[in-house]
Amino acid sequence: MDKVYFIAKKELLTYFKSPVAYISLVLSISVFNVFFFLIIDQNRELSLRDVFHVMEFMFLFLVPIMTMRLFSEEKASGTMEFLMTAPVTNTAIVLGKYIGVLVFFSILISLTLIYFVIIEFFGSPDRVTIISGYCGVWLEGAFFIAVGMMTSSWTRNQIVAAMMSYVILFFLYFLINFTKYFSGAAESIIQYMSTLTHLEHFIVGVITPSDLAYYLSGIFICIVFTRLSIENRMFQ
Amino acid sequence: MIITKNISKHFGSFQALSDVSFEINKGEIVGFLGRNGAGKTTLMRILTSFLPTSTGTVLIDGDDVAKHSIITRQKIGYLPETPPLYLNMTVKDYLKFAAEIKGIPAKKRRRQFESVMAECQLEDMAGKIIATLSKGYKQRVGIAQAIIHEPKLLILDEPTSGLDPIQNLQIRNLIKNLKDQRTVIISTHTLSEIEHIAQRVLMIKSGKIIIDEPLDSLMRSHSFDEGSGQSRAMNLEDIFIHHHSDQKTQNIDSKLVNENG
Repeated sequence: MDKVYFIAKKELLTYFKSPVAYISLVLSISVFNVFFFLIIDQNRELSLRDVFHVMEFMFLFLVPIMTMRLFSEEKASGTMEFLMTAPVTNTAIVLGKYIGVLVFFSILISLTLIYFVIIEFFGSPDRVTIISGYCGVWLEGAFFIAVGMMTSSWTRNQIVAAMMSYVILFFLYFLINFTKYFSGAAESIIQYMSTLTHLEHFIVGVITPSDLAYYLSGIFICIVFTRLSIENRMFQ
Repeated sequence: MIITKNISKHFGSFQALSDVSFEINKGEIVGFLGRNGAGKTTLMRILTSFLPTSTGTVLIDGDDVAKHSIITRQKIGYLPETPPLYLNMTVKDYLKFAAEIKGIPAKKRRRQFESVMAECQLEDMAGKIIATLSKGYKQRVGIAQAIIHEPKLLILDEPTSGLDPIQNLQIRNLIKNLKDQRTVIISTHTLSEIEHIAQRVLMIKSGKIIIDEPLDSLMRSHSFDEGSGQSRAMNLEDIFIHHHSDQKTQNIDSKLVNENG
């Protein structure tokens, strides 16, 4: 576990030593702020429902940029050889990197908690719905990060990694629009695979085992595939 | 220390190593020689467990590198051909990270860090971003990460490649100081370096070992006729060319009396 911590710490520090971290944070928070005030002004309701939708859509674009360098950069610069010949298990390398980005993402999310404070100040919002919405957005981001990390382990080119990540995430995001062309089991499967379905439940304050299983199994599968990918030396 | 048994490695249809077997004893300094693409780097990567073998086994202190790779990696310090450096980190942060992931206990980390900084003459560079260092200093940082956990086995893949003559000499002196108490495997195209450092030579050609001999006996067994009827010992470069290039071999062969003098 020590080594997972050391790798995660190094990943996190790497973010803050490059402009990527600051650009991501400033850009995201600026966009969230604009939408927060527009939505509150328009809806006149003490809810963050639509803000969560904006966050989800923004993360579709932002997360691949955050994750594209994770393994691609290591492969291109030769530091993968350093990591994989050190006395560290491949699982520790993958988990360390994943947790490093997840902490960075959590910092980003935590900066938006000010919205909760603001609407608390002006009235009595449904706290359970807001907390559950935050859990949903965090889990969705955690899933997106796992997808981004997996595609980063497939190539040494960061742009290609980001593009593959966009393809997978956009597919999962827009999948719900294709349910009208299917019926029965196929429709249910498509509905279950879509990220929108699950976040919607969290946003309205409903957390079901099925939604949790979707995100957690998605994260688990991507972590396993990432490990398999770095173990397969033909990729290097 | 190292026993390899019938190692073969292929990448698709390309056979990189074929039935390679050798033993290296504790404290030996062994030079891996061979042309580009001969299989030296692949062999080194297999020893470090970065690459698995297609067939055959590698034992380090009796442990199979495929089955107990974490144990064997703890004993190995490895400098790949391109120093594996995080260019946006400072030398200090990088070596601190190297010490952490190589499992040096927290209490020993500072001492080890100071020790390798002194050994590799990096004291003045601690706070510098690695990207801003010269190639020679980058190479020293690469060597520092390889020795920070006091490995018993040091594997250096072309440590002086691309350096100017002064940097070359500095790195060679550094390696000379490192070889005490350690088994060292070094691959280089600078053959004079092998003559100065190594005790034994493993020459690889097309994935096969063609020479595995102590350096002094190898030099004794190769000589050529100077034209005056007297034979003179060949240097390592002559021997290398003799075993690798058909065209140049013909030139040397014309001078060669016989391989045994």
